Amino acid sequence: MEATLKKNRIDLMKPFRKYWEKFYKRFADGSLGTKLSYFIFGAGNLYHKQIIKGLLFLVLQIAIILFMVLCPTINSTPYGYKALLNLPMKNVVEGGAFDPLTGEFSHGSNCKLIILFGFVTIAVIAIYFILWDKNIDSSFKADMDLKVGKKPTTFKEDLAELLDSKFHITMLTPTLIACLVFTVLPTVFMIALAFTTYNDPDMNELGTNLFHWNGIQNFISVFTGEGSLGVEIHNRFLPVLGWTFIWAVFATLTCYFGGIVLALLINKKGLKGKKLFRTIFILTIAIPQFISLLAVRNILGEYGPVNALLQNLGWISQPIGFLGLHPNDSESLAKVMVIIINMWVGIPYTMLMTSGILMNIPADLYEAAKVDGASTFKMFTKITLPYVIFITTPYLISSFIGNLNSFNSVFLLTGGGPTYIGYQAGGTDLLVTWLYKLTIDQGSYNTGAVIGIFTFLITATITLVTYRRSKAYNEEDTFQ
Amino acid sequence: MKKFISVLMVVLMACLLFGCGGGNGGSSKNKEIVVWVGEESADFYQEICNKYAEENELPYTITVKGMDTGAVAGTVTNDPSAAADIYTVAHDNIGKLASTQCAKPFTDEALIAQVLADNPASFQNVIYSTLDGKQYLYGVPYISQALFMYYNKEKVSEEQAQTFEGLREAAQAAGTKAITVTGDDGFNMSFALLATNVVDHSTTVKIFEGAEAVSGGSKGTSNCQGDDTVAVVRWLQDYAEDPNGFKWASSDGWDADLRNGGALAVIGGAWHYNTAKAALGESNLGIALIPTFTLTPKACEGLEGVKAGDTFRGGTFADCKVFMINAHSDADKYSALQDIVKYLSSKEVQNESYLNCLNVPAYVGASEYIKSCYDAGKLTESEYNLAAKQVEMAEWGIPQPFLTGSLNTYYYSKNAPAVFRAMIDKTAYPTTGDVLVEETESLEGVRKGLYLMEYLWMHGVNPDSFPEDLPKQA
Amino acid sequence: MMNNKKVKSQSRNAKTSLALTYLILILLGIVWLIPLVWIVLSAFRCEYQADGTFIGTVTSNYFPKAYGLKNFADLFTARYYGVDNAFPKWMLNTLIIAAVDCVISTFLVLSVAYCISKLRFRMRKPFMNMAMVIGLFPSFMSMIAIYFLLKSIGLTGNPTHPEYSVIGLILAYSAGAGLGFQVAKGFFDVIPNALVESAKLDGCTNFKIFRKIILPLAKPIIIYQALMSFTGPWMDFIFAKVIIGADNAPYWTVSVGLYSLLFGTHPDTNLFTQFAAGCVIVAIPIVTLFMFLQKYYVEGVTAGAVKG
Repeated sequence: MEATLKKNRIDLMKPFRKYWEKFYKRFADGSLGTKLSYFIFGAGNLYHKQIIKGLLFLVLQIAIILFMVLCPTINSTPYGYKALLNLPMKNVVEGGAFDPLTGEFSHGSNCKLIILFGFVTIAVIAIYFILWDKNIDSSFKADMDLKVGKKPTTFKEDLAELLDSKFHITMLTPTLIACLVFTVLPTVFMIALAFTTYNDPDMNELGTNLFHWNGIQNFISVFTGEGSLGVEIHNRFLPVLGWTFIWAVFATLTCYFGGIVLALLINKKGLKGKKLFRTIFILTIAIPQFISLLAVRNILGEYGPVNALLQNLGWISQPIGFLGLHPNDSESLAKVMVIIINMWVGIPYTMLMTSGILMNIPADLYEAAKVDGASTFKMFTKITLPYVIFITTPYLISSFIGNLNSFNSVFLLTGGGPTYIGYQAGGTDLLVTWLYKLTIDQGSYNTGAVIGIFTFLITATITLVTYRRSKAYNEEDTFQ
Repeated sequence: MKKFISVLMVVLMACLLFGCGGGNGGSSKNKEIVVWVGEESADFYQEICNKYAEENELPYTITVKGMDTGAVAGTVTNDPSAAADIYTVAHDNIGKLASTQCAKPFTDEALIAQVLADNPASFQNVIYSTLDGKQYLYGVPYISQALFMYYNKEKVSEEQAQTFEGLREAAQAAGTKAITVTGDDGFNMSFALLATNVVDHSTTVKIFEGAEAVSGGSKGTSNCQGDDTVAVVRWLQDYAEDPNGFKWASSDGWDADLRNGGALAVIGGAWHYNTAKAALGESNLGIALIPTFTLTPKACEGLEGVKAGDTFRGGTFADCKVFMINAHSDADKYSALQDIVKYLSSKEVQNESYLNCLNVPAYVGASEYIKSCYDAGKLTESEYNLAAKQVEMAEWGIPQPFLTGSLNTYYYSKNAPAVFRAMIDKTAYPTTGDVLVEETESLEGVRKGLYLMEYLWMHGVNPDSFPEDLPKQA
Repeated sequence: MMNNKKVKSQSRNAKTSLALTYLILILLGIVWLIPLVWIVLSAFRCEYQADGTFIGTVTSNYFPKAYGLKNFADLFTARYYGVDNAFPKWMLNTLIIAAVDCVISTFLVLSVAYCISKLRFRMRKPFMNMAMVIGLFPSFMSMIAIYFLLKSIGLTGNPTHPEYSVIGLILAYSAGAGLGFQVAKGFFDVIPNALVESAKLDGCTNFKIFRKIILPLAKPIIIYQALMSFTGPWMDFIFAKVIIGADNAPYWTVSVGLYSLLFGTHPDTNLFTQFAAGCVIVAIPIVTLFMFLQKYYVEGVTAGAVKG
């Protein structure tokens, strides 16, 4: 027991140890060029007469250093080392000094940009260190090449490598850059906002450009229920979370089985016009959702054709609020309607997919069963159903996760459902529509960020657990 | 790996270098002035500004863009440096924009004098805000808006349209409901919330009186619990229950009521004009002031501050749209911007704006000009009434109050008016937690509801409990 | 004899079940089409009041009382938000954005999917995990940050060059595309490794393999990806508005424009029939594409399902 513990502890330090060894070794064993490249990027490459590569590294080093020192300023907020100094936001300028004669208005610091630029600077520093490491590597490799008698690679050869053994790098780089800049960075920024007093009326009446860090205060206030942020989340989080789960389960299951049933119906032997039927059903996919869901919303509205028809038939005397557009409308009815209408939108996807799969089921399975005297019903339950379910289980999981975050169905139909007095979140609000209301409508980004983080934690946990255990992940390599 | 890092760095560098050039360029040093107005008026103001720039040999070009003025405040606070130099908002955003440093005050003497001379007292009260402890003019009004009533001229005579009781008569003859609203939010329900006593012009609900738009300032008091308020609520409860009385409508259905005869009248604003015309037809569309109503003995039961026979007129929020200057606009342009605003808000331009876009002018005495246009045959009858009745209704209303900082305690967010609706419908208030009031019919229930509403407005959250002895008049 | 009877009853059973199937499918088909037909009918609706005022609002009749092409005419000549011929401009913008996004996104997705599927390198599994984790964040959280990022590069909110925000939007759309490689990857997984290996033995570089062998085989998935990324910008009304700017009406996409018509602060609800006409026009190209490329779409969806 102790031995394993010790082993585990050492294992944790292993990567650091390995790196330190490598670091030391390259310096010790390297040529003069390599030693120089610890200080000047590209020195080693230049030493080995890899001119272009060396110059590239050098230029980059100079560029980054200039960036850090000169601090380019955009919208009066600096990058570079000043951005790092600004990041703790201890010396935020309040601004607001107005000169009535000249119209000069001094502006306060823009804390949003301070955070954003601070993170960009940190990223640039990280890149600097990576470059440093790689430049040493590059020189060391040339050293090694020389040792075994090969010539150091020329620039042309390096480029050719990019198209062959290093092809993955060429292919992945654009996506990686785009992903880092447009997804990772903004998300980190928003997460940071969850730890500030952005737009918090209790803490700070100066609005959205001037705020400061307040640690995990926001998260604590969620549990204690204090402060306007705390009240909203404390009282509404669990109901909204619960409904989000129920919604995801029902939406996924109804669309899944509905799609299978529909596919089976269309796929029935002897049915003419398969393509026509399929076309009709996938019209809902082709039409943008804000059009189709809006049409449904109007049809089911208080004065839409449905209510008018029901009133004409004498079944009801007052229009029914199907979609919870008024606070007094039935919340459960709105929830049921949302699930039903989502079926209208979602079944065609599953139907298409199942159609494709059904066509691929080997026919001899059915033949054999028929010979054994199985009824159609038995064939369905013992052959078709298990096959389809087995193949589409990964889809079921990803569909569940997708429905957790599904926005259009709820937002365009009910706008969040019957409103609750005193709160933003309504009766049919999902986590993601609540997030939209808080961020885009109200501009309350810190509350939204807190909810976003909670949402993420939950969906991430589910995803990792189910996905890792699913066969598809483990065997994806072995499909061949 | 090293290659990919190098490529990455090159790209990032290019972006940043490009950015340094592009980002700083911005609007600070260029020769353009951007003005945001309501979408329907964009063309008109562009023409006017072009003429102005030419006549005065302005060193700048003026670009006018049409925007949804309800969304301007949000857009400006999100990114003030990208917003227009002059923008239009409803006056109730002044407090927020001033305190979040998104707006600059006006200091031009001539402009201030013009604003003082031209505008009614009610507007004067809400266009100032404080900076560094001093009061400054922040918004210059140029369009006024109030709610009024559209009605079906075929079924309701002009006399009947003067009172709620008359409407009820007409509805009884037609076998339908008398009046509806375009939405159940606080703005549209102001006809009841701000019902004004015809004798002393006091409103029932006193919203944020004395609110000061300074950072850290007090939010003023809000009083919903006067006896007159209670009586009005109970009157409306009965009127809503009456088969020929009041009915609720949604914002996408009230015109169906008008068209199909489900209701004979609707309380709405100028932005409903096209829809109301489509519902009733131009010749059938009647426009009138919001009618008066008289309290019944039942409504005043158990109350001291009011008695049966007291007459109130339905109230309204009488708002103005104002021009404001962006705090992030160049100081060099400051005097030019003030001159432009002075010109655009002058009586002459307001008049022309009315002729071209039907924007109701905000200056005192606009009704004479409107009447003269009608007499000269430039307007149809409903267009004339549209403006005239709004101007008249403005005397029976108050501008929406505004607060500083965030909107969280703004009077009709957080669904406080849903409490009001629950009261009228006599259903339970849909709150969560312990603050649940099951029964809203009795006097006690109404008082609790009003307390809940007031608390929401003042504090932005539900109260923990109701006080033992609900106060009457503050 | 017994066999005949059994066969006969079986065939009668089969016939009734077939008839039942037809019935159910037709009913379902009608239900599916009800809302869509209503929008199309509303687009052609041309009703007037007794005195000639045009009724453009939502009415409670399902079938219009009168038909006409007025809405389409108005739509194309109307001046929204102070912009002349706003609707055609919006259509053109959206077309450009969709086309460029389509090319970039498809290229990115294919590259990533191919790499992950066929090549083996050290960071492969971490990259896949990271992609999955990042995809779990709700996109609203990053919208405002992307806006400021683009703004600091000058690609949005630029008063002297408002058209740059279109470039910014295209960047933003394409950037997110690379992470959606799962479906394409599943497709590439099915291509036998033997093909790749034998090509390698013949001395091809990875790039050559990609160009000469993989791409031709990947036609269905290319079309699927292209279809998905082309139709995306036509349907998005939130993100585009944030990036292009609420004051930048000439450069909106068509969904932002139509959505703003009916969902502003004080919308003119008399524009509903024009809105419906706009919806019909927007739907036509997308629906047509889906009809013609149905086969590829099915293949793509199936591939995605099979490998999850």
